[in-house]
Order: sequence, then C-alpha cells, then structure tokens
Amino acid sequence: MEQVKVTLRDDEIPRQWYNIMADLPTPMNPPLNPATGKPLNPEDLAPVFPMNLIEQEASTARWIDIPEAVLEKYVLWRPTPLFRARNFEKLLDAPVKIYYKNEGYSPAGSHKPNTAVPQAYYNKVFGIKRLATETGAGQWGSALAMACQMFGLECRVYMVRVSYDQKPYRRMMMNVWGAECIPSPSDRTAAGRAVLKDHPDSPGSLGIAISEAVEDAVTSQGARYSLGSVLNHVLLHQTIIGLEAKKQFEKIGEYPDVVMGCAGGGSNFAGVSLPFVQDKIHGKKISIVGAEPTSCPTLTRGPFGYDHGDLACMTPLLPMYTLGHNFVPAPIHAGGLRYHGMAPIVSHLVHEGIVEARAYNQLETFDAGIKWARTEGYIPAPETDHVIAAVVDEARRAREEGKEKTILFNWSGHGLVDLASYDAYLTGKLTQYELPDEEIERAKKLVAGYPKL
Amino acid sequence: MQKIESLITRCPKLGCDIPFSYCLRERGSLPCARILACWSHRLPVEDFLKERLTEDEWNQAFLAPDRDRLSAILTAAGKAKKE
Repeated sequence: MEQVKVTLRDDEIPRQWYNIMADLPTPMNPPLNPATGKPLNPEDLAPVFPMNLIEQEASTARWIDIPEAVLEKYVLWRPTPLFRARNFEKLLDAPVKIYYKNEGYSPAGSHKPNTAVPQAYYNKVFGIKRLATETGAGQWGSALAMACQMFGLECRVYMVRVSYDQKPYRRMMMNVWGAECIPSPSDRTAAGRAVLKDHPDSPGSLGIAISEAVEDAVTSQGARYSLGSVLNHVLLHQTIIGLEAKKQFEKIGEYPDVVMGCAGGGSNFAGVSLPFVQDKIHGKKISIVGAEPTSCPTLTRGPFGYDHGDLACMTPLLPMYTLGHNFVPAPIHAGGLRYHGMAPIVSHLVHEGIVEARAYNQLETFDAGIKWARTEGYIPAPETDHVIAAVVDEARRAREEGKEKTILFNWSGHGLVDLASYDAYLTGKLTQYELPDEEIERAKKLVAGYPKL
Repeated sequence: MQKIESLITRCPKLGCDIPFSYCLRERGSLPCARILACWSHRLPVEDFLKERLTEDEWNQAFLAPDRDRLSAILTAAGKAKKE
C-alpha cells in the first residue's frame, strides 16, 4: 500500500509562528492613517484592536511564540495531515507529485480558526468581553464564534443580508457556538440605520457590514473588532499551516518545487506559503503561486486592455476603456493592489516578484473541484477550487515542459455547506450566457431603470 | 429564457452565490468594482454599464483608488466615534 498521509504527533506541532516582516528584502510602506495621511501609530488602532494584537501587527520579530493556551486549542484538530493526492495525480497523468494540507479538518471546516483562536485568546487576556466582526457567507463568522466560545467571550457577527438569507447553515453554526448573528444592514448601528432609512430592503454589502461591526466595537465598553484576513497578525497566525508542512516534508525527505494557495484575502495562501517564501528569499529555488478568482483577459469580451504590470489577473481587472464616444481612457495601474480585500503582505510579495499570481475563471474552478471530489473524495469549498484549478494548470505545464515537479497546496476548506453552488454549476446555471439582441435591449432598459440609491 | 438580472455567480467577496442585479448595486448607485472581472467572460456587462453610468460614475466605480481594508476600518471607527 502506498503512503497517503504524513502526520505529526500533537507534541510535534510548531511552537512559534513565522513573521515574514523580518525577512522582506525591501520593507513595506507603512499603513497610513486615513484621517491624517501619516503613518499609523499603535494608538490609532487601540479603539479597534487590543494592544497585544497591535504589537503583533507591527512586530518585526522573526519568530513569535504561540501561547500554550492557544496550542491547547490548536491540537483539537492540528497538526492537520499532509496528504498525497495519488488519485488526482493519476487523473492528471502528469509528472507531478501533489501534496495538500487539509485545513478542512478544523471544527469550522476551514483554515479560519487558525487565527480566530489566537485572536480570541489575546482579546481575552487583554480583558475584552465581546468581539464584533462582519462576515460574508459565514466562514469567518463561524470560526470566530467557535473561538470566542472556547475562551468565554461573547461574539456578535454582522452577516451581509444577502448571505444571511441564503446561507442558513453557517448562521446556525454561529448560533450553536453561542454567537449572535445579525443580518446587515441592521438597526443596531447608526451605519445600518442610515442605510435602512433610505433602503429598507437593502441586501447589504461587505462594506456596510464592516462599518456596523467596527461601530459596534468602538462604541461599546469592553468590546473590540476582529478581522479574519488581510492584516499582518492574521497572516502570522496562519503560518502554522506552512510550518507544519515543512516538518512533514522533512519527515519524508521531500521539498516542494511549487507552493500554491487560493488568494481571496490572502490569509490561507500566506499561511501555507510564507514559511517557504522565507526559504526562497534565502536562495531556495521554489515557485510560490497564488490563485485568484477572476476571469482571465483571454476569456473576456469587449474592448478591454488589462494592466499586467504588477499583479497579473489579480483583482479587480481594471480595464483601459473608452466608454461611449467621448470618454477618454484613464491610465490604470496595479489592479490587485487596489483591491481592498487583498493582504498588503501578499500584494507586496507579488510586486517584488517573489510570488506569482494566476487567475482562473469560475467554470474551470468548479470543473477542477468536481474532478477533485470524484478522485480524492473530499468536496472542496468553492474558494478552494481555485487553487485546485491552479494545480491542474501546473500539472499541464509540467507535462508540456517534461519536468517532474512536487506541488504543495493548501486545501483551505470543505464545501459541505456550499453544495448549492455545486448544484448551480452542475445544472448549468453558471455557464456562458449568450444574449440575443432583444434580451440585451430589454436588459439595458431594465438596468437604466434602477433607482439611483 | 433566464432573465439577466437573475443570473447568478459566486461572489469572491462574500463567498456565496449572488444574482447579477446585486453586483449592479453593490455600492448603492455604483456597481461592485469587480463586476467586470466577474462577469465579462459570461455576458456583455460593459454594454449594460455604458447605458447606466455617466463618465463620473464610471470613474468612481472603476478608477478611483480603492481604500485598503485597514483604512476602511479606521475610517469607520473615526466616523462612529464622532457620532
């Protein structure tokens, strides 16, 4: 029988997180205070986050100890196994070995608890009683709900209404773990009430939910805000994934040629890759690839020219565009760097040429996810499908180049509460939509008639 | 035939399926900044936006520098404290 899983004992779990800030070849620009335009100082962040996490956010120490109380929670599901995807390899029929970290092992079903648990811990230690956060479809909200319960904190989650109505299971998970889940916009905050006043049926947005959660935190005694992606300390906590993987590769005497992850906000991608980025910075020959959910320019229609300067295909694709006859194309720069959902560390690494970004459209990602489920069994989260599409692509490249490659990727979560999305794909609801002229005209009138909110 | 406003896609910001009509109004009167990236390979979204948006709105929607997440958080915090 061939070996499939590489495991670590509980006592082999890494005891420190890795901080890439210590090894960056060029320093990152400091974040600016939007009110003053000057570099942020810790006091600017103090109303929002506890000071112990602010210190981590600004830290340049290479290694940061993982508190024992956090390790005790981590070992409920960590170390996660490193799997060899032998069945998927056979399907791809390419000269590749494919390894993946299965982060779907966590109680919440994704990598998110890797930072939710330490964030809850540090807030508890700082004396905070309640955390507020926003969530899109509930992956982060459910992870934080579980973590808060572990440390005896209250948790309030503002969930974008369009998701709240559509995704009851993650809301129920939050409730099971003792959190209060509120559809956003809500009447709990001034930000929410302002939206509801003019648009009582607003489906909400991530921006509104962020405003509500932040307002809740900064106007309540003993409350703070928590974010599950983007920030330096979030990425720091996620490095447990890559650090475990390095130990597991050492056990079998291998090392990856390519490390891949899906890069929505950047945290799971950073988690698996940053410990390997450290090696790359110090001379190791390794490719680090982030897979982004977006359409590729070759697949787009219309008069677009995309800027590939620093973040090819990263989000959003901003076109050089002439609108109508009189509009002048505007110069476009740095697509992904402008997307406020991307972690600055990841954007910086792409900009420096250390990390490569590739984009895969929705249809090819679902196709890859279905192939995965039918060979390896586990049903991936749709976000995870992006990196699986990237693995398929990498295998194709290896076949064409005639080069053997060892691939490591982060299987960031399962899709057991996302089956409606698979159903949409399998029933043809996500396919190309060729509009007949009369439908285009009808739709134009429809769109033109939308109220200006 | 399926109406265009009810076409669905997986929203990379929210992590769930949403209809095209949501993308058109994600920022109130403005569409989501990602609408072109998410939809252009499936339908001629630019045609709709040409009809809907003025030049200023287009520039606001797609060309105005986007705030990073931390700036958005701090702006929200500053506003909340003032109120």
